[in-house]
Amino acid sequence: MERWKVVAIHVTLISLAFLTLLPFFFTINNIFRTRPEFDRAFFSLPDCFKNLAQAITAEQGATFQIENEEGEIVEVASDKAIAFNLSKAGRGPRLAWRAIRPYMVNSLWVSAVTAFGVSFIGSVTAYVLARYRFFGSRLAFLTIISTMMFPGVLTLVPSFLLVKELGLLNTYWAMILPYIAGGQVFAIFVFRSFFSGLPEDLFESARIDGAGHFRIYWNLVLPLSKAAFSVVIIMNIIGTWNNFLWPFITNTEGKKHVVASGLFVLATSEYASNPATLYAAYAISSIPMLILFVYATKPFIRGMTSGAFKA
Amino acid sequence: MTLSHRTWATATCYALIFPTLAMLVVFVFTPVLWAFSKSLFEFEIGADALFVGVDNYTEYLGRDPTFFPSISNMLFLTTFAVFIQLTLPLIVAKLIYVLPQERWRYVYRLIFLIPTLVPGVAVMLIWQGMIYSDRGMLNEFLRGIGLASWATGWLANPRTALYAVAMIGMPFVGGFQVLIYYAGLSAIPDSVNEAAAIEGCTGLRKFFLIDVPMVLSQLKLILILTIIGGVQSFENLLILTEGGPGFKTMVPGLWMYYNAFSFQRMGYACAIGVVLFSVVLGLTLLNIKYFRSTEELQETT
Repeated sequence: MERWKVVAIHVTLISLAFLTLLPFFFTINNIFRTRPEFDRAFFSLPDCFKNLAQAITAEQGATFQIENEEGEIVEVASDKAIAFNLSKAGRGPRLAWRAIRPYMVNSLWVSAVTAFGVSFIGSVTAYVLARYRFFGSRLAFLTIISTMMFPGVLTLVPSFLLVKELGLLNTYWAMILPYIAGGQVFAIFVFRSFFSGLPEDLFESARIDGAGHFRIYWNLVLPLSKAAFSVVIIMNIIGTWNNFLWPFITNTEGKKHVVASGLFVLATSEYASNPATLYAAYAISSIPMLILFVYATKPFIRGMTSGAFKA
Repeated sequence: MTLSHRTWATATCYALIFPTLAMLVVFVFTPVLWAFSKSLFEFEIGADALFVGVDNYTEYLGRDPTFFPSISNMLFLTTFAVFIQLTLPLIVAKLIYVLPQERWRYVYRLIFLIPTLVPGVAVMLIWQGMIYSDRGMLNEFLRGIGLASWATGWLANPRTALYAVAMIGMPFVGGFQVLIYYAGLSAIPDSVNEAAAIEGCTGLRKFFLIDVPMVLSQLKLILILTIIGGVQSFENLLILTEGGPGFKTMVPGLWMYYNAFSFQRMGYACAIGVVLFSVVLGLTLLNIKYFRSTEELQETT
């Protein structure tokens, strides 16, 4: 291909990527801006960074104006000014972290228990359905798979009534149990096709050596299926982390909010008056997914693409 | 193998799959049955249920003032989403695919995935603040070019709200769709590409005559997913406009939500859910038909 064409493609892609990421640049910029800065100009670099750069590059003996704790303007040396502006930059994230820490803990707990439940229950069932033929095994598989045709919009209201009837509103179980029940279906689908591909000889010799279901599952299936497990687990964590509606409606008292529902609650509370806090909360809420993405890119991509087929 | 041994083995299998079946019965099949049975009643939580037969359905399909506006809004938003999802991500996937270095192709695929790491709620709220707020990008831009009188509350103005909602996500290059199309393009056999090159079929001609037909199954998949999503989704409207102003951005799912959780009309909400289910069911059957091909798609992503 001609060189100018390659350059043109790069320019197009970079501009589109820039537009796609613009909201996130905006978010990161706003983390470090105060309310007055925000009111003065919707788009501008944070004052604390400009002052920081000045203080760092200033000559020896130069003084800077900062606002002390009583709100008075005072003249200080450059090292004091650097410390002041750094702490000012950290204000938004500190306040945001204080506000969303309980939501993050709830999200991590709910995601972890759900992912564990889904992968454990799902893999055991898939192991049985993939490796054994017994009376009703085909019917059991079809029954499980058939639940994929019931969309969330059909079951949203009756599921709420059920959870309420069971007395689970405002508990973790209101989220975890329905998530496991729904999430295991696609997990079984993925695990079953993976386990079916494992060679029968392995299972045969394990059985001849006297291994029971537990030993076969623990010593044979688990070590061979790390790839399938990582995809199922990541797919589930993404789904749980992003689910907004269900935690929002089952937390009628607002005590067990997860990140997604908690952010909406924050955005409609008094925190909204301080943009830095709000934008820092958006950014912090994305960090766990970012870590997952960086450390497990391949399974993350596979988990995301296969997860979307559940719809 | 004796019969009792066989029975014992089957019983063990059932014991092992019991947790799955029990959870499905309680948390999936029960709500599904309730959706149908409770849609025949009029009731609030905690109060006595009154049997009303199919009244909830006739009311929703015949007399509900939101029915026509919400269906037309849903059709507009879904059609718009379909048009976008079938074009821009495909073009981007093609542009990435024709780059000569694998390193850059990988980097671009990852870059377009970054937005999917941010919770959807945060994306909506950031857009609301950045683009549509009083001093957001759109209004500031209009003031900058001397059209200050055009500045408006985009999500609150009855004439712009629906379009403003539809435009969220500009420039609409979803990382997930790019990945799917990219996988489709990678799956085109070399022999096809070489034959095209020998015949002198390049550029736009190749794109429309070879690439688009070869990724047809990916296009169908995205089409069905986007439509099914469009019929069901209402979270974005709950977050951004609450269906207003008036019913300008109301959709059936959101009306179901309000009937259940604001107006305490649980039976009526269940009936709306059943109506939407019947729409989605037809689309899901199509989806299952293409399910097999999606398994193959993943191999190349």
